[in-house]
Amino acid sequence: MELLYSLPFTVLEIPNLKLKRPTWLRQPSAMFMYSLVLLSYFFVCGGLIYDVIVEPPSIGSTVDEHGHTKPVAFMPYRVNGQYIMEGLAASFLFTLGALGFVILDRTHSPTMPRLNRILLVSVGFVSILLSFSVCWVFMRMKLP
Amino acid sequence: MRDSIPGRSGRKPTFLLLPTESVNFFYNIVLHLYNVVICYPILTHSLLTLCVCSRFNYRSTHYMVQNGFYNFLNWFDERAWYPLGRIVGGTVYPGLMVTSGTIHYLLTLLNIPIHIRDICVFLAPFFSGLTALATYFLTKELSSDAAGLFAACFMALVCLNTISEIPPFSAAYISRIVQYNIEALRGEMVAMCAVPGYTSRSVAGSYDNEGIAIFALMFTYFLWVKAVKTGTILWATLTALAYFYMVSAWGGYVFIINLIPLHVFVLLLMGRFSHRIYIGCMCLSPWIPFVGFQPLRTSEHMASAGVFLLLQACAFLKYIQGYLSKSEMKLVFFLGLVVVGGAVFVGVVVLTYLGYIAPWSGRFYSLWDTGYAKIHLPIIASVSEHQPTTWFSFFFDLHALVITFPVGLWYCIKNINDERVFIVLYAISAVYFAGVMVRLMLPLTPVVCVLSAIAFSNIFQFYLQEDENGTKPAVSTDSDSDDSPASNKNLYDKAGKVRKIKVSPTNREDPGLGSNIRSIVMVLLVMILMMFTVHCTWVTSNAYSSPSIVLASYANDGSRVILDDFREAYYWLSQNTAPDARVMSWWDYGYQIQGMANRTTLVDNNTWNNSHIALVGKAMASNESAAYTIMRALDVDYVLVIFGGVIGYSGDDINKFLWMVRIAEGEHPKDIRESDYFTDRGEFRVDDQGSPTLLNSLMYKLSYYRFGELQTDYRVPAGFDRTRNMEIGNKHIKLEHLEEAYTTEHWLVRIFRVKSPGNRPRIPYANRSIRSRKVFITKKVSTHFYLGREKPVVFVSYPLLQILHKFHAP
Repeated sequence: MELLYSLPFTVLEIPNLKLKRPTWLRQPSAMFMYSLVLLSYFFVCGGLIYDVIVEPPSIGSTVDEHGHTKPVAFMPYRVNGQYIMEGLAASFLFTLGALGFVILDRTHSPTMPRLNRILLVSVGFVSILLSFSVCWVFMRMKLP
Repeated sequence: MRDSIPGRSGRKPTFLLLPTESVNFFYNIVLHLYNVVICYPILTHSLLTLCVCSRFNYRSTHYMVQNGFYNFLNWFDERAWYPLGRIVGGTVYPGLMVTSGTIHYLLTLLNIPIHIRDICVFLAPFFSGLTALATYFLTKELSSDAAGLFAACFMALVCLNTISEIPPFSAAYISRIVQYNIEALRGEMVAMCAVPGYTSRSVAGSYDNEGIAIFALMFTYFLWVKAVKTGTILWATLTALAYFYMVSAWGGYVFIINLIPLHVFVLLLMGRFSHRIYIGCMCLSPWIPFVGFQPLRTSEHMASAGVFLLLQACAFLKYIQGYLSKSEMKLVFFLGLVVVGGAVFVGVVVLTYLGYIAPWSGRFYSLWDTGYAKIHLPIIASVSEHQPTTWFSFFFDLHALVITFPVGLWYCIKNINDERVFIVLYAISAVYFAGVMVRLMLPLTPVVCVLSAIAFSNIFQFYLQEDENGTKPAVSTDSDSDDSPASNKNLYDKAGKVRKIKVSPTNREDPGLGSNIRSIVMVLLVMILMMFTVHCTWVTSNAYSSPSIVLASYANDGSRVILDDFREAYYWLSQNTAPDARVMSWWDYGYQIQGMANRTTLVDNNTWNNSHIALVGKAMASNESAAYTIMRALDVDYVLVIFGGVIGYSGDDINKFLWMVRIAEGEHPKDIRESDYFTDRGEFRVDDQGSPTLLNSLMYKLSYYRFGELQTDYRVPAGFDRTRNMEIGNKHIKLEHLEEAYTTEHWLVRIFRVKSPGNRPRIPYANRSIRSRKVFITKKVSTHFYLGREKPVVFVSYPLLQILHKFHAP
């Protein structure tokens, strides 16, 4: 067995190397992973793939009755069409709502002072409520 | 209503809880079935006539029940893909037919006479109940019992909605979808949804692969998680069996076979390799060839084989680790890594080169390289279900769950373990795939339900656990009964452990604020659940009220107008044409013509033969005489086109026309060029500025034949197309080789008869070699019959006609 191992080294000279496992290579923390996942979720929900394939304009425009061009943020009445900004806004709201829930969860840590807790709870509330209601409004705008 | 169910009221001993909730839960499922039975008369009379894509499945099932399974496998359907025929047994996923056939067989064995049609109608609700059950078990394995109940409820609400949710896209809003109508593949699904506690409306009737496939998917995942958890061969074998069922039911099985190796691989990377996973995989892998030989050979399935090898290597290394010293171990490890890795790589490359391993099929390639389908596979890119998803689809399908889904993910990542790694991976990959194709929203939905359920149950656990200490939170339990079982559960289940550590400081600091916050949070959450339920019900009712075969629109005064042109046309076809008549149409309508008109079609929704579809596309895209040659070669008797210019229906054939051109160009690049159909400025116009190639194409002529005479509205000129808002460019269309056979009330469906060639071939005067100068005109007819430049009308007496006939008769 020993002979077999030493066989290649009769020909080769062992270089004087010190290989270390790089310090940055370790299992990432849960929060880090989660933020990565949330980021990708943000992009996919915003229809990034749609934007890449279909290449819609970032903001649409219409002509009103006086002949003026005015910008339109939402592609109205189109269920499977969107502008880039519209998708990003909507998925920002999704993510905001999710973060609101996570913030509500974080307020449970027992060491948190009272003021912070109230602040955090209200921030969580506001973001959840905001995201839900605005998403609802967005949906109303899109539906025929 | 389910308010009468115990389990909501106050405190009970712990041992009572589980049965109560089980009862509650099973009541839910029973409710499903019960509603379905209530709907019975509606179902059998209307649904199967509406469900067109199901019609094909039903026809296959019917054939299988009548002729036996082996005859079904050998069934050659000569009515589809006309000159070619279709081997149905070999090109269909038989799981659906076998399932309903087995149920039928068992019932007949028990002397319960039942028609196979009834089984087909009720299969979807039955399996949706089972899906909810499987989701419950999966979530229970991942998190807690309460979360499982939540997940089952969400599943009952959403997933079944999602299975059926495609129709709103196709039917209610199809007039706004300009691209391609989604109903092409499965337009007929009808909602099957029971909203627990609220609306007891539930309808059935979808009979499609997805219905049972989602159940198979969830069940396989549950068994896999169980196998990973316990590490017994029994569960692993069961997983393999469930996987086998999934393979037979739906093409989405590829998702499983890639997800499970991914899970194992990530577990390896995380250093969570264990004996149990090894056993699980060992049992799973040998079953894979059972599916047929294709899985071993296509690259999509290579992941499982690769991970299997990797596992063997890992296990082997672990094994010899016990025998070798540390330094030797390192050497062996690296040496082995290099040698094995190199060997596998070279092997795969060589096998691919020799053709033993098929490369990736285009549909899957398009999943990774999203631009691929647009360039190379027009037939895949043309289907609306394969379009990339917009944000609206996410929100429309999942509503509140799209927001709570990352929260569940957060809880899973925070307290990670082997099976939660699985659900996280499932979630991430499913979200990505759902973003690529609208259709893949379907496998995403269960995981969204599971994760949202985990999120909700965790939140409820935090905010409800203090109830015993004093003030009861003002949970409006009347509003939603979903949350109550879970919340009750949490009161007793884990409160003992958690409370001491976490919540007591809250209480000591400010009990009043705490309870206020709790109640506000509870009201908020219940509100969200309520809105979610309302949304689901609304979607379902919309989906149900407008099946895609019947278009519904609203008049100015708000009344509903039903456009029943499709059925009118199919009925005309079935009554007025020869039984063996061949109908040429674009492939979207293939199943409908087969199922409802019972006539032979050239291409249909099973788009297995690209070149045949391209031939039909070429016929539609070329001018009339060239198209006539193709149609004669294909023995076409009738041509059916969908025209929406009168009513403003945007899913018609002119809007799909560019896809026909593209698909035809892919096969016949010399004859058809896409650029010919655009104007010089690169626009697709049907008015007089449009390209002459377009204005003379068969599809254009058939769609706008006689349309130039029609004035739809007094404000617009005659021949004004309301879909494209243009006045058409070619108003005087003369058809040479076709004649109009039938046009429905709103001009939605137009059917043309292909004339047979004349008995005497007529050569145009310019091409004649012998040109007679004098045209003989009989003097028997007085000259005032000569009207303008038209040909003289010759009256022939009846006896003379008979004599002439005798001469011409063969």
